[in-house]
Amino acid sequence: MPESRTPLRLEYRPGPAGLTIAYQAAPPGSASVSATYVAPAGWGFDPPARRGLARVVNAVGASAAGPYDRVELARRLDALGAAVSRQAAPESAELTIGGPADRWRTLLEILGHLVLRPRFDRDDLARVRRQVFERQSREMTQPASRADKELLAELFPGGHPYGATGLGVRAGVARLTRDDLVRFHGQHYTADGALLVLTAPLRPSVLVGFADHVFRGLPGHSAPTLGAPAARTGGAAVRMVPLPGSAQVEVRVGGRSIARTSELYPAAFLADEVLGGRPLLARLFQRVRERGGLAYHASSELEAMRYGGYWIAQAGTGPERWRKVVPMLHDELDRLRSEEVPERELRTTRESSIGAIPLGLETTAEAHELALEAAYHRLPEEYWVTWPDRLRTVSRREVREAAAVAFDRASQRTVLAGPGLDD
Amino acid sequence: MPVPRIPRPPLRRFALGNGLRVLLAPIPASPTVSVWVWYRVGSKNEWPGVTGASHWVEHMLFEGSPRYAKGQMDRAVVAVGGESNAFTDTDFTAYLTTVPREHLAVPLDIEADRMTRALIADAEVERERTIIHSEREGNENWPEFRAEEELYQLAFRVHPYRWDALGRREDIERMTPAELRAYYRRFYGPRNAVLVVAGAFDARAVEREVRRRFGRLPASGEDVTVGDVEPAPRGERRGELSGPGTTPFLTVGWRAPALDDPATPATALVDTILGGESRLFAAGGGWARSSEHPGARLYRALVDPGLAVRATSEWRPRVYPGLFTIQAQAADGVGLDRLEAAVSDVVARLARDGPTVRELRDARTKIAQGARLAYEGASRTAFRLGYFSVLKSPEFEERILRALLRVRAREVRDRARQMFRTEARVTVRYTPTPEGPDA
Repeated sequence: MPESRTPLRLEYRPGPAGLTIAYQAAPPGSASVSATYVAPAGWGFDPPARRGLARVVNAVGASAAGPYDRVELARRLDALGAAVSRQAAPESAELTIGGPADRWRTLLEILGHLVLRPRFDRDDLARVRRQVFERQSREMTQPASRADKELLAELFPGGHPYGATGLGVRAGVARLTRDDLVRFHGQHYTADGALLVLTAPLRPSVLVGFADHVFRGLPGHSAPTLGAPAARTGGAAVRMVPLPGSAQVEVRVGGRSIARTSELYPAAFLADEVLGGRPLLARLFQRVRERGGLAYHASSELEAMRYGGYWIAQAGTGPERWRKVVPMLHDELDRLRSEEVPERELRTTRESSIGAIPLGLETTAEAHELALEAAYHRLPEEYWVTWPDRLRTVSRREVREAAAVAFDRASQRTVLAGPGLDD
Repeated sequence: MPVPRIPRPPLRRFALGNGLRVLLAPIPASPTVSVWVWYRVGSKNEWPGVTGASHWVEHMLFEGSPRYAKGQMDRAVVAVGGESNAFTDTDFTAYLTTVPREHLAVPLDIEADRMTRALIADAEVERERTIIHSEREGNENWPEFRAEEELYQLAFRVHPYRWDALGRREDIERMTPAELRAYYRRFYGPRNAVLVVAGAFDARAVEREVRRRFGRLPASGEDVTVGDVEPAPRGERRGELSGPGTTPFLTVGWRAPALDDPATPATALVDTILGGESRLFAAGGGWARSSEHPGARLYRALVDPGLAVRATSEWRPRVYPGLFTIQAQAADGVGLDRLEAAVSDVVARLARDGPTVRELRDARTKIAQGARLAYEGASRTAFRLGYFSVLKSPEFEERILRALLRVRAREVRDRARQMFRTEARVTVRYTPTPEGPDA
């Protein structure tokens, strides 16, 4: 059943009990499908005494469901040439299945089991708990993970969901019971406020009709909403986390940022591309690595979520070099906020970003990432189709003004984690 | 089990007079074209004093050539929305550039220019030295890297597989620009390379372009056979490491056959049955692959009962005999002795009883299904074609798939018996310290 629609264009369809279904055609020639269920079930909803619950629900729920225990589910996926992945974030949690297009019905049925009928077997909970303990420990001992964790905590103190990584603390995860998982799942894995995103080389009517059938059992009650959490200011401007015995210092400079639906987003996106987001071309890469010869990696990212977000400029460097690298990061951030990007640099960055769109359309799974992003933020159906034109209208002044807001200076914090640091 | 057809696009293959082998894989519907150049040079070609030279040369090939001053290669690719990268392995070095379909000329021009004429200027080598150090330090931040490096160092005393492709710290510190240039001149060139282009293009037109751009290059580039043969081990070798980390980590290795050894298919099946990976034919290359394989033996024996939080095996296809390894990260409160005993028990049982009928069937199914979507997208297509070509030939992929699906339970058992001998075992135990010695 080949489908010749253009990828990049979303179609929203109403699903059962308030579920939103978003469909996007797979790239031409593709023979696979990807489907993701996104629930308002991120760690922002963790009860205070049970931090880590959302991630544990996501992990245990993806292990075994419906007629499949953990081993049978893995065997079934292997027999189909398919894979299941999961992801949790502050606001939401996802379950994704991908596999051959000619098995799309079976794949959707399996996703339906995972969403509607997770087993939450006690053995799986015990296993995931052990794995989370180890990851909690890794967050404390591995320089990159530790730097990320500490920076987020500095930017969003006081229990803000963006200030955590969702792994919780040992005591909270230790006390989780199967009942906790079942309760959380019942409240958050609903139709209302949730999303099913489908990317496939199939006619949307057939696909959506079957999805409607599979997900018909989703509870229709309203899922709790996260609201727009207020971010308090706090923390130190520079924080050192000595990790003796490690080899490299991980540097993170970050601050609070805008929501994905902000009108400033296209200009802020370009500001990030100029700073460190566009591989090879960006200022941080050029200055820290190519001209300075100081670090293997130097980049930036803009994490714009539903209620706000954060930006990070980062590099990994030797203990004897971080004193040179940190001022470079600060300097480039100040330049981005205070000076207009030269016309030629902006043009090159913009055309590079636009030109890269086809690279995200080689496979169904890659195209699916774009669909997910647009659908999660309820962006218009033509959002990615018109994205190049939107970028082309952004001026130098708009990039500078957006950078001043989206790369917020007032909340800026610097965290270093690694060897040879003084606390 | 029927052997599935690997959905490879039709190939146009030719060789130039200077020895360059070329594979063109037109994919008319692709929005991109992907250009890969694979050189049969890697850390296997190095010697003490110049370990890491292959990787360092890889970096230097982005730092200037006659037509592209420093930074201009990156600029030319990124300006059209493309992506460019490279990686160095023990057996090969690969350069990859993917661009929107209308910009194929950009990567072809760059690759032709740097194949024999990279500048490798003194000042750029010095600047890159720190970056190479930084890359290595970034890896050293992970206990798994430290343990694996130690494992290979213990396992090999003669063969160049004993050092990591990143090279030794001391050699990175010492190596001179002249040595890097000499290394490049010796190993780089059309005779030692495979050029792969996949994506939307007219194959005849691209063949003309390739002949025009690459045909005039000198017939340089040595494909050297590594003469150092690693003697059979005479006893178990063990290493202990400590440093920052979470829980104790164990890695165990045994000598594994080279890619063209008749024992390779059964070795690959041992890997799939123990660790769960189908390696050469892994499904879901385009979507997030799970590292959890609950049906695999190591998982059931170590993760399920709470001894480990992760446990897997790894057999890497290599030109010369390498290692089959098992890695396990202990669960909280579990000591290395217990973990090691459990690993020993798992391999002993496979060597004694072989796989069950169901295990073997599941492993074959997994491999066969993984092959079905192996060629989705131009980048993955170019990767696979180049990978199999540089190691053996494009046809090798189908040959090994057929062989994998024919392996019998008895062969898996015999392979396990032969491989998992105590006197051939190498073990590295990594103990986390609250505060390790400062590096």
